[in-house]
Amino acid sequence: MGVVEEAHNVKIVGSGDQTIVLAHGFGTDQSVWKHLVPHLVDEYRVILFDNMGAGTTNPDYFDFERYSTLDGYAYDVIALLEELQIQSCIFVGHSVSAMIGAIASITRPDLFSKLVAISASPRYLNDTDYYGGFEHEDLQQLFEAMRSNYKAWCDGFAPLAVGGDMTTVSVQEFSRTLFNMRPDIALSVGQIVFQSDVRHLLPHVTVPCHIIQSMKDLAVPVVVSEYIHQNLGGKSIVEVMQTEGHLPQLSSPHVVIPVLLRHIRYNIDA
Amino acid sequence: MMLSTATQLSTPPTATPSTVVPLANRNIYLNPRLQQGGTGQMGNQRSEEVKKVLDILVRTKKRNPVLVGDSEPEAVVKELFRKIESKELGAEGPLKNVQVISIEKEFLYDKNQILSKIKELDRVIESRIVSGGVILDLGDLKWLVEQPMSFGGAQQQQVVSDIGRAAVVEMGKLLARFTGDGTNDNNLWLIGTATCETYLRCQVYHSTMENDWDLQAVPITSRSPLLGIFPRVGTERILSNPGENLNPLKSVPTLHPALTRRVSENLDPAQRTSFCPQCSDNYEKELSKLVAIEKSFSEAKQEDNRPSLPLWLKNAKLQSSDAKTIDQSEGKYQEVLSKQKTQELQKKWRETCLHLHPNYHHKIHSDRTAPPALSMPSLCNPNLFVRPPFQPRLQTTKPLGEVLQLNTNPVTSQPQGCTSSIPGSPVRTDLVLGPKGTENTPEKATEDGVKDLLGCISSEPQTKVLDKFADALDADTYKKLLKGLKEKAWWQAEAATAVASAITRCRLGNGRCRGAGSRGDTWLLFTGPDRVGKKKMSSVLAEQICGTIPVIICLGSQRGGEESDMNFRGKTAIDRIAEAVRHNPFSVIMLEDIDEADMILRGSVKRAIERGRLTDSHGREISLGNAIFILTGDWSTTNPEATRDGHVVDGKKLASIASRDWQLGLIVREKSAKRRVNWLQNEDRPIKPRRELGSGLSLDLNLAVDTEDDRTDGSHNSSDLTIDHEDELGLVGRQFTITSVPHELASIVDDSIVFKPVDSSFVRREIKNTISVKFSMVVGDNLPIEIEDDVLEKILGGLWHDQTSLEQWIENVLAPSFNQLKPRLPSIESRGLVVRLVVESDSGERRNGDWLPSRITVEG
Repeated sequence: MGVVEEAHNVKIVGSGDQTIVLAHGFGTDQSVWKHLVPHLVDEYRVILFDNMGAGTTNPDYFDFERYSTLDGYAYDVIALLEELQIQSCIFVGHSVSAMIGAIASITRPDLFSKLVAISASPRYLNDTDYYGGFEHEDLQQLFEAMRSNYKAWCDGFAPLAVGGDMTTVSVQEFSRTLFNMRPDIALSVGQIVFQSDVRHLLPHVTVPCHIIQSMKDLAVPVVVSEYIHQNLGGKSIVEVMQTEGHLPQLSSPHVVIPVLLRHIRYNIDA
Repeated sequence: MMLSTATQLSTPPTATPSTVVPLANRNIYLNPRLQQGGTGQMGNQRSEEVKKVLDILVRTKKRNPVLVGDSEPEAVVKELFRKIESKELGAEGPLKNVQVISIEKEFLYDKNQILSKIKELDRVIESRIVSGGVILDLGDLKWLVEQPMSFGGAQQQQVVSDIGRAAVVEMGKLLARFTGDGTNDNNLWLIGTATCETYLRCQVYHSTMENDWDLQAVPITSRSPLLGIFPRVGTERILSNPGENLNPLKSVPTLHPALTRRVSENLDPAQRTSFCPQCSDNYEKELSKLVAIEKSFSEAKQEDNRPSLPLWLKNAKLQSSDAKTIDQSEGKYQEVLSKQKTQELQKKWRETCLHLHPNYHHKIHSDRTAPPALSMPSLCNPNLFVRPPFQPRLQTTKPLGEVLQLNTNPVTSQPQGCTSSIPGSPVRTDLVLGPKGTENTPEKATEDGVKDLLGCISSEPQTKVLDKFADALDADTYKKLLKGLKEKAWWQAEAATAVASAITRCRLGNGRCRGAGSRGDTWLLFTGPDRVGKKKMSSVLAEQICGTIPVIICLGSQRGGEESDMNFRGKTAIDRIAEAVRHNPFSVIMLEDIDEADMILRGSVKRAIERGRLTDSHGREISLGNAIFILTGDWSTTNPEATRDGHVVDGKKLASIASRDWQLGLIVREKSAKRRVNWLQNEDRPIKPRRELGSGLSLDLNLAVDTEDDRTDGSHNSSDLTIDHEDELGLVGRQFTITSVPHELASIVDDSIVFKPVDSSFVRREIKNTISVKFSMVVGDNLPIEIEDDVLEKILGGLWHDQTSLEQWIENVLAPSFNQLKPRLPSIESRGLVVRLVVESDSGERRNGDWLPSRITVEG
């Protein structure tokens, strides 16, 4: 196994003509896809990997400078695809990874046949004429809380993000992967993610994009999906699911998986 | 280079060309830290180990390395072979043309042939050693000391180690044969790996091996952090299926399949009753949908067990597949998993139903909040509450809570038919014998322990308080409460009325309907800038309703000097709330400055309001009991000019004034010349009018009553968030607006009450009036009392921070000194005299705890 695969904990499972890359979002790792993967392996070659900075990756590889923008992660994705000699893939990105995939697809549109974006947001902060859901002070408090007591922050943030009780499996799962991250890395990643603004890049995205969104999501208001839809350069389609939380594929797999499979299997009508 | 090998030998599997090509500059997108790969931290460690091995290989003695370590010594061997294959070792040295031959695994397991295989090996080596040497990869040495198949029996063990011993001897001969001359380059090396345990066993069972084989052990240190996902698999499995641990079925000692099944059958009807028919229909539908989905997925995949999936993925797959497959043990495991899924669905519908049909859930709710008979520690798992077959005692306690709620809550409980048929007699007895008569403390003390254990959902104290509420909700409770509130925070008469009526309403069960209809917790939102007024009212509420002092938890940035309890260090605000509720579920808990709380805290509080339960940072969920929560926040904009000009009482300024140690004194003086002019005009009317000052006294009282009337008058429209301008507030009222109370908060609390900024001229006038009235009552009406503004300011400051009310202070402190003063006054003619309340001393820091002076010096 090459260094890249090893560093990203790449797993390749299943077989098929098409390749699906599953990219996890902030605070999780590839295990966030555990409900989805078994339904893909018969038809597709599925590539799982961990973003740098996830709790399962070597913190020594986390270059704070490289990952000071989302571009660093986008390069990682391209590097990985090149390394694995993948000509074209369906990229399923959750949360920030959806935007990372979009950025990567601008640089190398040839590598991506389709983007599936789950709970994506090009900007989390409110702006004039844009509602991202967060005020500046909200984020400052969030970061301050992360700084002061990471464990407590995880335990507080996880139920809110997932939208369930601490007793549910999915919240415990998310809080586990969240707490797995090294706190300073988590803070850095969190700051980069929440303060990112890739709205200006959306028009350059030409790869067809399927936008999947929870009805109620602490991090991403429903209007954001419409914003992405309106501003993408290529074809796009929006599906809002009757689910709650930012990690619907973890918290309500029975709703999300059929939706995801549909969007993976079928393309947007010409 | 590698040649094709004989059938029983194979090349190392790592040698696929794509991964061995040097990485430099091949991928421009690559993380530079990964590009350094070979020299990076992790690679560094490995390459050092490879170097160590190489050093051993070129020695003449003890030159056959065995890599000993528990963490992937194989990786080092692979790296070494990669280097050999790609000729990274350079053109010089004894290893320059070396070939690698690996012993095939299957051959090792066939013990009976092992000796003949070694002979075969002999020939292969002989044919290839001429080209520059051979490294024989023995793989993991455990084949020498262990029996891989589970034959069992000591005799078998003996046989195996006999074969192992023979293999050691044969291999030793082999080695001696090819290295015997030692002069040329065509050498044979052995290389192997072993865990520490295996190597120890080798040393024990084959004591001569180390020498015969010319071995050198190379310890491989564990590469700590990055081992891919596999070493994490253990935790992954446990954590990704917490249901396995949490699931009550697991802890019940009935792992026998038949019994488990019976439990689940018992479970089902019990759970079905926890939704109303409508929701249960929906639940059934969704359940069948879930089952259908799972079936369709699992049917497609049942036949193969997919070895390529990592372990955690298999788990996920099992979770989604049907329970009735595979073997018994696994089936049981799956049953638990799919049950867990069903339970989550049930829980979801229970919650939905709770929201949609709160009345139906009256009964369920009392189940939840009053199961003291449950002795299991994991009460936070709601699944437990629906398992009557295991907890028959629950039956008796359930109706108890219910009847109580029926008694105290006639409004909400009457419309629902489903709870009406409750077994009568034992319950009544409970009621009579139970909490009503027992107000003694020792019982309470023991209860506290139980309360902590059970996450404070024991029904015993609850009934006590419910009784108390029932009593307290007499017609005059409202008046009593209002009186208390008005006494302590008389400058917020309007808010006092609103608070009193809100509390009364909520306690009668007419609060805002949040989820469960019969929840005991009450949430009030106090808005506006008057922190002192809010605090005073909370104290009154706590005292009158719960008989305690309020718990004050600051959610915002801690204000200097206020309530900085060292015990709170390191605890989150949520933990402190949870602790407060756990300590006493019937307290008044004041959550200050919710407007300054961070987003997560606000979110948690909001969820607590909506659900009536709170999850602390350890994941424990507790019921909020019957606590009254008071959220405070400012959200107001006051015209800054009003504050600057002193129209509005400024808390900070008052604190600085009152925090000094000051004493008051009463002195009798001649009226000052300046004032005399004024008073002379008044005193043109001599004795007779002075007599009428008796009515002047009543006039004063009337004045007080008038202002009182004003206030009660104004309070009719108090519950609105927008404020009508009160006459007495005048300027201040007009400059004050509550702007941005977040709707999300205002809409879920039981009531919001506005605390207006305090008009300083009004409060000063009020203090002055009250003191004057008292003075004229005690001393008589023929002597005026003068109080300067700075004195009023100090009294106000003291009142602001002290626990006592103005009336109390006047009664306890001022009145005695008035009495003291009275005999010293010239009895007949006090004309031209005036009594003044003045500041006697004002010296630095406060010494004792009281903010108001406890006695007043009197000068004759």
